[in-house]
Amino acid sequence: MSEAVVAPAEQVPAGANRSVGPGRLALRRLRKNKIGIFFGILFLIIVILCLLAPVYASHVAHQGPLDGTITGTVYGKDIVNQYSTGIGPTWHSRYLLGADSLGRDVAVRLLYGGRNSLEIGALATIITIVGATILGVCAGFFRGWVDTIISRILDIIWAYPALLLAIALGVSLAVTGVNIGPWHIAGTSNLVPSAIIGVVYIPYVARPIRGEVLTLREREYVDAARILGYNRFSIIVREILPNLFSTLLVFVALQLAQSIILEASLSFLGAGVQPPNPSWGTMLADGSSQIEVAPHLVLVPGIMLVVAVVSVNVFGDALRQAFDPRARIRVER
Amino acid sequence: MRLKYLVAGAAAAALTVSLAACGGGSNGSNGSTGGNGGGGGNATSTGGSSNDKPGGTLKLEGSVFPDSLDPDFGYTTQAQEADTMVYIPLLTYAEQQGTAGTQLIPGAAESLPQVSSDGLTYTLTLRKGLKFSDGSPVVASDFTLAVERSVRLPWGGASFLTGYIKGAADYADKKASSISGITTDNSTGKITIQLTQKYGAFPNVLAFVQTAPIPANTPFKVLSNTPPLGDGPYKFGKIVANQSYVLQKNPNYVQIPGISAGYVDEIDMTVQSNPDTEAQDVINNTADVFDPADTITGSALATVQQDTSRYAKIPSATTYYFFMDVTQKPFNNQDVREAVNMALDRPALSKLSGGSLTPGAFFLPPTIAGHTDGGYPWQSNVNASPSAATIAKAKNMVKAAGLANYPVTVWSQTKQPRQNYDTEYTRVLNEIGLKATLKVVADATYFQQIGNANNHAQTGFADWSQDFPNPSDFYLLLDARSIQPVNNENFGNVNDAHIQQQLKALEPIPATQLSSAAPKWQALDKYVAQKAYVAVFGYETLPKFFSDRVDFNKAIVNPVDYLLFNTVELTQ
Repeated sequence: MSEAVVAPAEQVPAGANRSVGPGRLALRRLRKNKIGIFFGILFLIIVILCLLAPVYASHVAHQGPLDGTITGTVYGKDIVNQYSTGIGPTWHSRYLLGADSLGRDVAVRLLYGGRNSLEIGALATIITIVGATILGVCAGFFRGWVDTIISRILDIIWAYPALLLAIALGVSLAVTGVNIGPWHIAGTSNLVPSAIIGVVYIPYVARPIRGEVLTLREREYVDAARILGYNRFSIIVREILPNLFSTLLVFVALQLAQSIILEASLSFLGAGVQPPNPSWGTMLADGSSQIEVAPHLVLVPGIMLVVAVVSVNVFGDALRQAFDPRARIRVER
Repeated sequence: MRLKYLVAGAAAAALTVSLAACGGGSNGSNGSTGGNGGGGGNATSTGGSSNDKPGGTLKLEGSVFPDSLDPDFGYTTQAQEADTMVYIPLLTYAEQQGTAGTQLIPGAAESLPQVSSDGLTYTLTLRKGLKFSDGSPVVASDFTLAVERSVRLPWGGASFLTGYIKGAADYADKKASSISGITTDNSTGKITIQLTQKYGAFPNVLAFVQTAPIPANTPFKVLSNTPPLGDGPYKFGKIVANQSYVLQKNPNYVQIPGISAGYVDEIDMTVQSNPDTEAQDVINNTADVFDPADTITGSALATVQQDTSRYAKIPSATTYYFFMDVTQKPFNNQDVREAVNMALDRPALSKLSGGSLTPGAFFLPPTIAGHTDGGYPWQSNVNASPSAATIAKAKNMVKAAGLANYPVTVWSQTKQPRQNYDTEYTRVLNEIGLKATLKVVADATYFQQIGNANNHAQTGFADWSQDFPNPSDFYLLLDARSIQPVNNENFGNVNDAHIQQQLKALEPIPATQLSSAAPKWQALDKYVAQKAYVAVFGYETLPKFFSDRVDFNKAIVNPVDYLLFNTVELTQ
């Protein structure tokens, strides 16, 4: 909202009811959504647990995520048996959730894998939101040839299924890494899958942003800013972006869930996090070949992945309902 | 031959295989397997048992596609299995299991070579009436073309040719337009080969499919998807790169004594990248053959081991090791290489194999002359995991060398359990103070990538199965003459004057006198261990595992050529 429009509101007589801002209204609605809050807290707990992975590894499990004991025993049993299968859950501090075929503690790898999965998901989401916002705002605000060029580029990326495009990029970049001028990012770096996931999802977010900007640029307060002589950059920063905030906030939550799923898919297929580094996707891949004799290797990361994604999705939906009541009405009808 | 897999033949192989395959019964597969040539290579196919039905399609699954189906370029076990059916070289191996299967018999040649008294001239005569699969005649000069292509493409074992055949090295270097040491007469079929130095195993070189005749118009480029025509009992059908290939019976195959014409009409090979799924497919009879080059572990192993009518472990002259490029840091430092060998947990690696790998540390495997049991300099007992004190000592050695935290990239195949071997190896390298990361690449191109000088592969998994039962075959991997820019098999780029000197002295010894030279080969192997040029971790056995549609006892896993598809017969 422009200063010119805000100014009269500040002249409300003392004692009159002050209007409540959209943000505060949204928070009120969000607090009423008990299910959304529950899943938001659940996701927060997962994040905290994953952040505490080093503490668990050093003080409870006494084993790092890449360390394995293939020939040893724990609580009187072989950690890895004669068929190269890891021990199941011990429900004790060591190998709480069992071991994989390399004698690595599944619980430790689960937490470290969660760190990688969440880190990549968060980085990818930032890349998607920032990239999509820049492109969507430019396309929607400037229209004309700028819109044409940006939209066609987005169309080209959109023409490829996100997973296939990500696999193609992931496989090639996992081997060579990324070389940008003097900078080199190793293929094993989490930045590689983060960048890939972030880029392939840009069209999916940039298009709706463009559409919303096309609407926003015709609003009266934007016309007023133009009349007051603000340049286009100022109008975008002071009028357009603040009004996009609630939309972007909803996209952040939903995109985080999408990014975590795509990371898991890529890692499962060998195009994301590179072994032996753990992620929930690589753990699923490692365990898939032994699903009959060691189902815990698949169940543990699989359940964690589902819980994390459902949590973010439900919380994201709650955010959407809170910030976009019209959408809620539509849903209720 | 790249080892990947294979079978091999050891002295005790025949007995063990017979016992394992037949449950101790009297129908031993060694010596008198139905449908296969007997000693001397004169027997021909005699048909199967009353339950066997000639014809049908054999479904083979494998986790890795051949590196190339071009006979003059491919060098993996998977390639060998297919090419052996399509191309018959001048000499070949008896269709037998165990040590009997290492016996040379005439293939495309009428008889074994005549060797001059100085051991430098070999004379053979091409068998009359041989045809390629399109019906065109095979002539003597087709052998020359095969050798020329193999050294020019180049085949990974090209040094077996350039190191001994007169003029082959100059031809490889494009200093000559032909190989002066090979002369042929197409009218008589006479082939004369002159060597620059005596090589006791040279008859075995003439049994490589890389020297098998190919048509005269075959271009000098790698033809992986459209391989040249061959003279064997099968021909290539449809090939889908990195996915599948088909072998069909060759209607123009001219029966060669000792080489079965084959029973099944077609062999369909399909890549199944997960060996566990591959094993399950054979258990469920949706596939007929589990590639002997793969390893059965995990969920399938317990099931498979219970059915001795479909499964047997085949002893194999195969060494599994980690190569270390001695021209690059940190492995150009002998202390670091010693530290690696000290800290390697060989029993752990054996466990990852599901028991198919026997821990070992010397380069030459059991059954090969010169193999050593015990006395390994860097671990007193390779069957025990290294102690904490040993690990600490290894770590100190790396630190003292000033190479602590030096970055190392460990190259790995995708397939299991090999990726697990490399993951464990990476852990060990980090444990002794290096900064190791894993680099996993596609199975089908793995050996080409680590053998490409431009990739500067520091270290990673490698294996070797015998091309022929002679220690000089294994020393191709440590022979400075075999270093080449692409398809290099000397992955560690080892160039040691003492090794070269010893090879020069030992190679002329005829195969018949290998036992007397064993102590000298043993001394050389101990020298290699002392220098820690490689980190050997074990010797592999191979799985012979079929569906219940296959006549288990008749199918032959040859110690050199692996599973001979032309001996496989379906029972239903």
